[in-house]
Formats: sequence, structure tokens, C-alpha cells
Amino acid sequence: MPVLQHFCEWVYTTHLSTSIRQSPYSFPLIETIHTVGIGGVVGTVAILDLRLLGWIMKKEPVSRIARQVLPWTWAGFAVMFVTGLLLSIAESQTNYYNLAFRIKLLLLLLVGINPLIFHLTIYRKVNTWDVANVTPLRARLAAISSLVLWAGIIVAGRLIAYVNT
Amino acid sequence: MLLLQLSRWLGHTHLGVYIRDSSYAFPAIEIVHLLFLAIFGGAILLVDLRFLNLGFKTQSTSEVARELLPVTVVGVIGMFLSGLLMYAGGTMRYYHNPAFQAKMAFFILALLVHFTLQVGAARNIANEGGGGRLLKIGAVASLLLWVSVGFAGRVIGYV
Repeated sequence: MPVLQHFCEWVYTTHLSTSIRQSPYSFPLIETIHTVGIGGVVGTVAILDLRLLGWIMKKEPVSRIARQVLPWTWAGFAVMFVTGLLLSIAESQTNYYNLAFRIKLLLLLLVGINPLIFHLTIYRKVNTWDVANVTPLRARLAAISSLVLWAGIIVAGRLIAYVNT
Repeated sequence: MLLLQLSRWLGHTHLGVYIRDSSYAFPAIEIVHLLFLAIFGGAILLVDLRFLNLGFKTQSTSEVARELLPVTVVGVIGMFLSGLLMYAGGTMRYYHNPAFQAKMAFFILALLVHFTLQVGAARNIANEGGGGRLLKIGAVASLLLWVSVGFAGRVIGYV
């Protein structure tokens, strides 16, 4: 038996996992908080992305928006991560086989790499294009991939509940 | 009851019947609803945080309210239309669902409170520099009401 599968089955038997599953309120409650967290992360990231694409707040320097928005993105991320972990723990055994869940994890990994590349490359020279209406191509590409990846994460996340066997 | 008659009619339209009978229509529309929610949620959060003097302090309240107005308006329209489609697929089931009724009540309140504040601030009626007391109370009410809309919405599926 693969180690990861074995681990997921063990998690499923823990007290935390069973208590979330057995309570009629826990799962929907955590799910709602998870959705609020997603709103915080994706919504604030989207505003930065839309600025990079030159759709909104064109007069505002990119770096200033980034500085204002990112603390709240991280706050949302913390909420999303903790609640997401609890939901995965509650359903670990079935999630292991769930294709939508696997795709979601893969997309989460990619959406993490995206800003890493962005900050290490084009954003380093942000002072040269900070106030530009039209940002450099690589910044716009980062914005588009961020929006597409986050949309994919929401789609895959919602589908977890529908492809469960 | 006009609302009941409208709901009955909506449920019997081709669109309503199609959504009800298709096994893919509902999840697809639900996902669109959530995509709009994500964008909308972040914009609402930033506008209200600005009113509370907790975020976006480099810009005035009226600038933040004005520049994020397209995002919140497009978001709320997208959510309303996708929500209406979900409703069309099960009008009578939702009409009598207490969680759905609560969601609509919260939604109307949230809509009134939030957009009165945001449009007001955008038009510079409210205090230019920072959040006045009224604006702050309104921002807290807006955040609590939108979370209640979301929570009641999630409960619809469990009632």
C-alpha cells in the first residue's frame, strides 16, 4: 500500500476527522469559512491582477496596490489554509482517490510558483513600470495565469463534492 | 402573491425546466456563482477595510470606493444572474426553504447598506479623508451582512 494512501486512511480514523464528519454542523460551517477565506485571497489577488492588466485603478502605482492588498491576501490565505486542511482531514480517505481534489492540489502548487517567479523577475524592476497604464508583457502574463489558475482552483474545489464516488 | 406567481412561471419556462432536468447545469452555474463571489468578496473586503481605516490607507475613501465600484457592481450582477438561474431550476423548492428566505432578506439588506455607502463615498458625500463614525458602523454592518448572505446560502443545501 502506498505510503500516502496509508497516511490518508490513518488520518480518516483520527478523532478530529471523525468528529468533523459526525457533527451535522461542522462541515458546512467550516466550508462557509473556507469560502469566505477564498473570497479574501482570490478577490484581493484579482484586484492586483486587474491592475497589472490595466483594467482598474490605472492611476495608482502597482507597488502601492501590492503593498496595501498583500497583508489581507495572506490573512485570507491563513483562513483558507486552516479550514481547507480541516475539510481534507474530514474526508481524507475519499479525497485521496478524488480526481478533482488531486487537480486542485496541483493547481495550488502552480498558483504558488506563479508569484514566486513574478517577484523574482519582472517585479524586481517594478520602479521602471510602476505607474505605467500598460505593464510589461511578463507582468500581464503573470496576472492572466494567476486569474486562470485561481478560477481553476475554485472550479476543481467545487467539483470535489460532485465527483465523489 | 406576485412573487409566487413569478416563481411558478420561471420554473415552467424552457430554461427553468432545462436546468432542473440537466445533471450538469446546476454544478456549472454554481461554479460561475462562486467565481463571481470570489472577485466580489475581495473587492467588498477592501472597500469596507478602507472605510474602517484598516487598509488601502494610501488612497482616500472616495477614491477606493470609486475605483472598485466597477468590480463590486459586476460581481453583484454576475452573482444575481447566476443565482437567478439556480433558482429557476428549483423555484418551489427554494421558495419555501427558510434558509433561502433568510438569504434573500440578508441579500436585500446587504445590497442597500453596502451600495448606499460605496456609491455615497464614491460621490464624495462621505468624509473625504478617512472613515467617519457612520461609515465605520456601516462597513462592519456590510461585512457581517455579506457573510450572513454566504452562510445562509450554504445552509440552503442542508435544510
